[in-house]
Amino acid sequence: MRTLYLALKYLAILLWSSFVVFPFLWALSTSFKTANGVTSGATYLPWVDYEPSLLGWESLFGGAGGINIFGPYLNSVIVTVSASVVSLVLGTLAAYGLSRFRFRAGFVKNGDITFFFISQRILPPIVLAMPFFLMLQTLGLLDTLPGLVIVYIALLLPIAVWVMVDFFNNVPRELDEMAWLDGCNPIQTFLRVILPNSLPGLVVAGMFCLIFGWNDFFFAFTLTFTNTQLLPVAIVSLNSSVTPWWALSAACLVSVAPLLLLAFLAERFLSRGNLAGAVR
Amino acid sequence: MAEIHLEQLAHSYAPDAPERVYALQPLDLTWQDGETYALLGPSGCGKTTMLNIISGLIRPSEGRVLFDGRDVTGEDTRRRNIAQVFQVPVIYRSMTVAQNLAFPLVCRGLPRARIRQRVGEIAELLGLSTFLKRPARELTADQKQLISLGRGLVREDVSAILLDEPLTVIDPQMKFELRKKLKQINEAAGVTMVLVTHDQNEAMTFARTVIVMNHGRIVQSGEPQELFECPATEYVGTFIGSPAMNFLATVPREGRREVPDLGLGLSVPKGEDARSGTWTLGFRPEHVFAEGDGWPLRGRIRRIWFEGVEQVLEVEAGETVFRAKLDHARVRTGESVELRIAPERLALYRDGQRVGAGYD
Repeated sequence: MRTLYLALKYLAILLWSSFVVFPFLWALSTSFKTANGVTSGATYLPWVDYEPSLLGWESLFGGAGGINIFGPYLNSVIVTVSASVVSLVLGTLAAYGLSRFRFRAGFVKNGDITFFFISQRILPPIVLAMPFFLMLQTLGLLDTLPGLVIVYIALLLPIAVWVMVDFFNNVPRELDEMAWLDGCNPIQTFLRVILPNSLPGLVVAGMFCLIFGWNDFFFAFTLTFTNTQLLPVAIVSLNSSVTPWWALSAACLVSVAPLLLLAFLAERFLSRGNLAGAVR
Repeated sequence: MAEIHLEQLAHSYAPDAPERVYALQPLDLTWQDGETYALLGPSGCGKTTMLNIISGLIRPSEGRVLFDGRDVTGEDTRRRNIAQVFQVPVIYRSMTVAQNLAFPLVCRGLPRARIRQRVGEIAELLGLSTFLKRPARELTADQKQLISLGRGLVREDVSAILLDEPLTVIDPQMKFELRKKLKQINEAAGVTMVLVTHDQNEAMTFARTVIVMNHGRIVQSGEPQELFECPATEYVGTFIGSPAMNFLATVPREGRREVPDLGLGLSVPKGEDARSGTWTLGFRPEHVFAEGDGWPLRGRIRRIWFEGVEQVLEVEAGETVFRAKLDHARVRTGESVELRIAPERLALYRDGQRVGAGYD
């Protein structure tokens, strides 16, 4: 009975894993094909099923009819990382305040302020495109990295606040009280006691910020022209009258790589540092 | 170290409500420097509220808190220099045991050498020396509670140490050790300690003064012996002591109140009307004895059980049931017995309050 259960369990895991991994394998295989290799039916194994070629990869690094991916890559890293860091810092501070201190302006209370943050993500992005465009244009920041960073902060901050408020609400208040009793002022309490215990929350919020920032196409597309191209836009620009599946596959793998790496690194923090046991 | 005075202090968690519900009824209380106190009472009686007001975690809705005559009611927790240990151990998970113990001193900016010396001393005292370099989160619950306590003790100038049921998570053997340790620390350092508990044994063995609370009110405060011998109310008599004190229903008879089934009674003090109010006759099961001089208590044994080496007899006489705690009486359930009680051990309670000095 137990063996059967285990067998079924592993079968389910195996099926699900292949479902998740298959697109990557498919992309990997496709990235080494040529036009012939793609159109001549389903083939999987290089050298056996089809003759591998580096055409797709070459087109990412300045090959014929391709792009140079380094520029957009660097832009994406700069914009995503700086926007995420700023959002995380501001968002964590805001979230601690919202979690621990009582704010009140008329009928507006803490919960309403928290909701106000997240409500910005409820709007369809298209509604924001025009105002953002006009604002950046007025400020002379259209098609520049700082302009994009500002817009991305506006997009990522609600996520950081939302995740961290929820996290801080689950950090026992006794920890704050104990720090006060030990002689900390509110800032010391936050920096020395609460923050070191909040690594898992910071990792989750940071991951969300990086993923959302990295994957955004819409604002990267609407607020830039040629000077500051971000990675998703650059990848789309590969497309032409004949879809270059090989180049797109290679680009897709290149753009997913840092997120995969990040997920593996973050996973270690998440499983190690849960907060259970700070009190008790 | 400081004398703590609570002046006309009261607290309500909803001060704006049309009808005020007090978690703590208005009270005046002085805690002398270097003494041990226990706040005893059932859950929700206002004990923790009182502690949190003293440490500044809660602002009282009425009254003042004075440390050595200085008004600290509006002061932040960190300025009051109070140590408090919560029911569940609170530790800084990201730090080692040594860093945990040093934290209050680091916050106060003491020189490093001094901090190291103090941490060493406190770790020695609490038996944590071998764990100093270990991450605090890896220790057991009672060791963590020792760390919480240690963070309170590490400050030499601490105003008072407030212990909010700190021994709940600790196993019984360790509990005893820890209580002893706390007493030693109190004697050595002369620091005021207030222990909140709902365990009467803990209160009675730890503190020189026990304060019994109920419904946000101080019912009685005094030395443990006094609370046991002369409970001011039926509530205290029932709450302290095991088994609880006997309170027997009485009827009026010629200026006296008597338990009809036992023929036992006391004169009502002058100025009191024996005919109005509900009167009971109270005595401790421990004060009943098997033979010797005293007033007789006759009845039939309904039940017998043991508490430690002592026997508790539940005796019925007509409608009346009382309990007696004896060393080892050779009796069986269902037998008739004649027990005795010294008349000066009897006291009258009117509407739950002790009346007069007792027998005269």
